[in-house]
Amino acid sequence: MLNQLTDFAILAFHQVKKKKMRVLLTALGIAIGIAAVIGIFSLGEGIRYSATESIRQQTDLTLIEVTPDVRDGVIIPISPSKEEAIRLIPHIEAAGGIYTISFATKRQTNVGVVGTRRDDFIRIFGTTPLKGDVFATGSHDIVTGRDIATTLQKYEGIRLGDTAVVTIRRYDASGLPQDQSSEITIRGIFGERNDQFDNLVLMDQDTVREFRGNPPSYDAVYVRVDSPDHVFSVVEDIRALGLTAKGPFEQIDAVNRLMDTVVLFLSLFAAISLVIGALMIINTMIISVMERTREIGISMAIGANRTDIITLIMLECLYIGIAGGILGIVLGIVFSACINTIGKAYLISAMGDVFAGFTRMDLTLVTPGILLMGFGIAVALSLLAGIYPALKAAHMNPVDAIRNG
Amino acid sequence: MENGSISVSNLTRTYRNRINALDNISFSVNGGDFVTMIGRSGSGKSSLLNILGCLDTPSDGSVHLNGRLVNYQNRSELIQIRQRSIGFIFQHFNLIPHLTAQENVEYPLLFNYHPREERQRRASELLERVGLSSRSDHYPNEMSGGEQQRVAIARALVHHPTIILADEPTGNLDSKTSSDIFQLMRQVNEERKTTFFVVTHEREYRSFADRCLELSDGGLFEC
Repeated sequence: MLNQLTDFAILAFHQVKKKKMRVLLTALGIAIGIAAVIGIFSLGEGIRYSATESIRQQTDLTLIEVTPDVRDGVIIPISPSKEEAIRLIPHIEAAGGIYTISFATKRQTNVGVVGTRRDDFIRIFGTTPLKGDVFATGSHDIVTGRDIATTLQKYEGIRLGDTAVVTIRRYDASGLPQDQSSEITIRGIFGERNDQFDNLVLMDQDTVREFRGNPPSYDAVYVRVDSPDHVFSVVEDIRALGLTAKGPFEQIDAVNRLMDTVVLFLSLFAAISLVIGALMIINTMIISVMERTREIGISMAIGANRTDIITLIMLECLYIGIAGGILGIVLGIVFSACINTIGKAYLISAMGDVFAGFTRMDLTLVTPGILLMGFGIAVALSLLAGIYPALKAAHMNPVDAIRNG
Repeated sequence: MENGSISVSNLTRTYRNRINALDNISFSVNGGDFVTMIGRSGSGKSSLLNILGCLDTPSDGSVHLNGRLVNYQNRSELIQIRQRSIGFIFQHFNLIPHLTAQENVEYPLLFNYHPREERQRRASELLERVGLSSRSDHYPNEMSGGEQQRVAIARALVHHPTIILADEPTGNLDSKTSSDIFQLMRQVNEERKTTFFVVTHEREYRSFADRCLELSDGGLFEC
């Protein structure tokens, strides 16, 4: 069976070789469509890569905030056992439950406070860049974000090492506010982070929990993932626990969704050229079958069955597909390079400073996956286009074919 | 037992225009016989040959090949008979133009599959038998009509059929070459005991045959 197929493949190759020019032009028809697909996908992949890289560089990507999820109107709280379950997710370096509360200073600066364990703080945030020291367990010490530290110093006159009185507002069972005063000391100040922590204050977990009146579940859990590559798998696992995950990774999610839509939309145009390419193959193969009517009739008379005829025609289509795929890959790489050079220059001149960051990056990114996909489409489309001509050949009447061919 | 016999009874072939190409024909041929059939154009010779070659279906009547009744409704059985028992020789040679003489002879064994070495061995043997060893690498358009028909004879024999059906095999050849081709077919018939059923419109080749049948006005006579 395999030997027969090999011999058929050799025979079909002879057929194709005889009509080099025709096959080449047909393959070129498919190749142009494939080149368009490769160009579009590499552009999408390039922009996606550049955007993702800049998000990686500019944000604390491996930090995830896990919050309770609301499902069917029921809040799924983060109990200590859930916290434990989160810790057991692979690729998590550190995870710690937190409580939140807010302080008001004497001059009514409102400050969001996160209560976390000292060990978790060190493992999640590290101790650099940190001016001063980490709060001690059970103390009323705080570590402030960069921006809030500036505000406190500017408007309240509170500096690193200073102690101040703050008001903590809680609500009792009847909904009435109950204020409580407490003394806090600024023990450390974060370096600039460019995220929410610039405006937050971190404090010992036990102290905050006490302020909150010892609630049974955490408000959130902070998670540190061991590497940026594992962030999305960890997010999946967190969602599987029925919890919500937030963090800078959402920006990458958004970029991915945007690029998927853009690429899909642009692919519609590439699809048109692919359809034209497929029609060219159908046309070429029908002509080829017509020209060989007598030959097909003779083959049937001397023992070929319908499957043999279909196999021979489909093999020829396979060769056209392979030629179209290879040609398409070459053209696709050239096309991507053109987009990169011409497109980048245009984009920068048209958009100005906004896209200045792209000067050092490539606008397109050709991956092996994209090339493989292009090749696959070429082969699949060629085989698909061969079905009708092959069936047409196989259903010829041998007597008529020999007489009229 | 594959003996090469042909038996036709009450065979009728009616086309869509209601003309009876063959009208209630009966005859039989013994295995190993060399039979020529003559008749004018349109007498139904080709129709008969197509039915015997399992390429066409009779409207009525029955055909036995090698002593076995042919079921014309069973497509795969017809293909199997063509692959194993029947060899065709055509008026227009009908070699595959892009294959060499050697490859043309091997061609039927691609479908009735035999491995490459076996195909090559049989084809070389047969090309030598028809006197064309030196032409094995030549394409059909590089050979004369007589040479092409010799290659076609070799192709018809390559799968060791018991019956060879020839449709005016010398119709496109001059009389000297025609005579050579008939001689070759007769020799092969005697060497291999293969049944030859040769349709021709030239009466002079009667002398090569064991029997001669004449088809006229849809009826069959010995001549």
